[in-house]
Amino acid sequence: MSLPLTVIGGYLGAGKTTLINRLLGESHAQRLMVMVNDFGAINIDAGLLVSASEDTIALTNGCVCCTMGADLFMAVGDVLDLADRPDHLVIESSGIADPAKIAQVAKAEPDLAYGGIVTVVDALTYDGLSIDPQIGAQVRGQAQVADVLLVSKSEGGAWPDAVGREAVDLSTLEKVAPLVLGLRPDQVPKAGLLHADYASWSDTVDLPFSREEIEAILMVRSPDLLRLKGRVPAKGGGSFELHVVGANWSIKTHPAEGVGQLVGIGLKGLISRDEIADRRAGARHLGAAGQHSAFSPATPQICDGLIARDRMQCPGRFSICGDWRPRFGRAVQ
Amino acid sequence: MSETTVFAAKRIVTMDPDLPEATHVAVRDGHILAVGGADCADPWGGGLLDNSLGNAVLMPGFVEGHAHMMAGAMWRYAYAGYHDRLDPDGKLWRGMMTLDEVIAGLAEYEKGLGPGEPLVGWGFDPIFLEGERMGATHLDQISTERPIAIIFSNFHLLCANSKALAMAGYDAGTNAEGVVKGSDGAPTGELQEMAAMFPVMRRLGIDFRGLSQTPEAIRTYGQVAVRAGVTTATDLYSFLEDEDVATLISVTDAADFPLRIVPALGAAGYPGEIAAKARRLAPQSTEKLRLGAVKLMTDGSIQGWTARVRWPGYVGGQPNGIWNTSPDEIHALCLEMQKQGLQMHIHVNGDEAAEVSLNAIEAALRAYPGPGHRHVLQHCQMMGRDLYERAAELGVCCNIFANHIWYFGDQHVALTLGPDRAARMDAARTALDTGARVALHSDAPVTPLGPLFTAWCAVNRRTMSDRILGVAQCIDVDEALFAITMGAAYTLKMDDEVGSITPGKRADFAVLGEDPRAVAAIALKDVPVLGTVLGGKVHLI
Repeated sequence: MSLPLTVIGGYLGAGKTTLINRLLGESHAQRLMVMVNDFGAINIDAGLLVSASEDTIALTNGCVCCTMGADLFMAVGDVLDLADRPDHLVIESSGIADPAKIAQVAKAEPDLAYGGIVTVVDALTYDGLSIDPQIGAQVRGQAQVADVLLVSKSEGGAWPDAVGREAVDLSTLEKVAPLVLGLRPDQVPKAGLLHADYASWSDTVDLPFSREEIEAILMVRSPDLLRLKGRVPAKGGGSFELHVVGANWSIKTHPAEGVGQLVGIGLKGLISRDEIADRRAGARHLGAAGQHSAFSPATPQICDGLIARDRMQCPGRFSICGDWRPRFGRAVQ
Repeated sequence: MSETTVFAAKRIVTMDPDLPEATHVAVRDGHILAVGGADCADPWGGGLLDNSLGNAVLMPGFVEGHAHMMAGAMWRYAYAGYHDRLDPDGKLWRGMMTLDEVIAGLAEYEKGLGPGEPLVGWGFDPIFLEGERMGATHLDQISTERPIAIIFSNFHLLCANSKALAMAGYDAGTNAEGVVKGSDGAPTGELQEMAAMFPVMRRLGIDFRGLSQTPEAIRTYGQVAVRAGVTTATDLYSFLEDEDVATLISVTDAADFPLRIVPALGAAGYPGEIAAKARRLAPQSTEKLRLGAVKLMTDGSIQGWTARVRWPGYVGGQPNGIWNTSPDEIHALCLEMQKQGLQMHIHVNGDEAAEVSLNAIEAALRAYPGPGHRHVLQHCQMMGRDLYERAAELGVCCNIFANHIWYFGDQHVALTLGPDRAARMDAARTALDTGARVALHSDAPVTPLGPLFTAWCAVNRRTMSDRILGVAQCIDVDEALFAITMGAAYTLKMDDEVGSITPGKRADFAVLGEDPRAVAAIALKDVPVLGTVLGGKVHLI
């Protein structure tokens, strides 16, 4: 399998490190490698520490946190060359960087999978920063490219109105890992509720599909489906490895044969497990990808899906729906 | 007693006003013992006369205040640029003026490669070529079996052939920004920015780290320097990991290594950690390796429309450029470095970046007063009189990217700044008039290392189309020669050791075929460089 890469973006002080500290401390049963700009603010419970050197911290849960060293892309190459790769790579982009410039590599590199851009914005300072004559454009850009937009420091009731799109309030999340990393099939609980905040769904896919068919489905997926990943059998043999997050996805060929599996996740309150997996509604939600008929773009269900999307009202600040603006296939001229 | 060698020369141009010209220089223990006539060493018991440089003109070894170690190691790849260029072995590589010439030149190069070896080119710049844009189909004319990647001169783009695209898994189904696709939906071969370039570079074994941190890269940099008459050169954004420093020390320590290298630690990350690392590095300095300075990136480049410029911005209406380090971070870094007594080299191409950096330095100096900081603004391309006045007030040095006038001046007139502001780019005249400390540089390998050419640019301000770009900003030959010797040495805090032929300083000389002051100003760039002397050891080409 390819290595999923998630990029965490956001301006200085937005809360990237706090998010990383939470991520490293949560139980998610994934061996993460987290590359950060500096260790200054990384705060690991001493009981979780296995070892710490000048540029690497190893944790008892199998996670590793390291500084990225001389050259980010070469560091990514080094991770890919490891005999024992981590389960997920997380890169903290610098406070002024465009996280998309890093995240695009996950779409380009066959050995990486697109794990999305998670941008953190500060509820107290974002509105001011976004109109700053010197850095406003870059700060706004970080929010615009996000697949998942998280708002920090909202406890006092502040909200960054200038983001102009839906965002997730970090203070309402008990766990951040499902949102930042996605889930593996074995992590989807039978009861459907992962945590108070999330709804999840998992199903097998046994019929093969073409890339175009998968793309057609993805174009009309529910805006409330935050993440979807897994493997779908490919027409003509082998399979496609699918990673969907926010407005973006990557579909890469994979040699595995046989039945595939998909895992979807959304925020509870916006989408229910039944909705994600709704077989009757067909393609209303991509969760229905598990339903064979849904993978035929010509079916009426797809049209239903489109209509459903148009009708759907974004219920405000807790929604991730937004405008999907499918960026797939956008060629740079 | 130590040996004394007395070098005789046709003329010695000392750049020291106390004795501007001489014919002999006595050297002992790698230092200048005395300067004058044939008898200059007599008060010291005389010395052994060395006539091997008797037909040459000696100057202080040139000091390149802004270049990169990559300037040498890029030559492991095929040169694909528009301008004629000399490689470290002195071979002339003709510039390729059309796409057909580029393909023909690379095809010739390809014949010398072993089976399976990738063909990697560098220095390609389509801004100078008319007509069709290079694509995989052009490179496939060279080979469809061998992977090919041609890296553009700005290192932000490359063009791959179909074999290299296939190795990276790029096809019509690829969904990644930067993988340019044609009207048929297939990748054209052009890959923009590292995210898209990385899969090809990884599979072809192209490693930028290897271009500046290997012993071979360091030695080649030394070779390039000898050909340019340079005896002290910077590497102005270095990562300086422990193993890099060990390699640098062991290579530069060799008796025959001909260059003093001044790397500056790239400031990425937390100011306190950067400062601590720079302070740890400083005491590891040796005779030929000077550590302790820090390099800050601020904005991008003018010709890439990524420099941060003040109103009225770019003449084509492009949006303002990007910060690589935010103004807040620039302030925090300046404060910390000034607090800890560390010298900063600050990249500023656009005038807004220069203004923000000067504001940050001013605030840092108010918080932590400390004369002698000698912080340096690097590039300074759009600074006008107001900003040079402030630099002079604050004791901030200005290292000006004079080579841009010739290489990109026409583009700046037509595409980026327009004729009026282009005419006052790289304003060395204004800078000197305000009393700022001035050096001139090449930013090699962006443009070739060659201080005499750099000085020629500042003196003549010719562009490639032979336009004179802002005659009011021309400086005279003596001023330009001072800038590439004493001026640059000052910016590196090495003016006590190098930059002039003065007793007590290190015996570092440029060995020239003619006196640069004696030729027509327009011929300054054509003065032959025969080699260098470093610490009294002769390195002829």
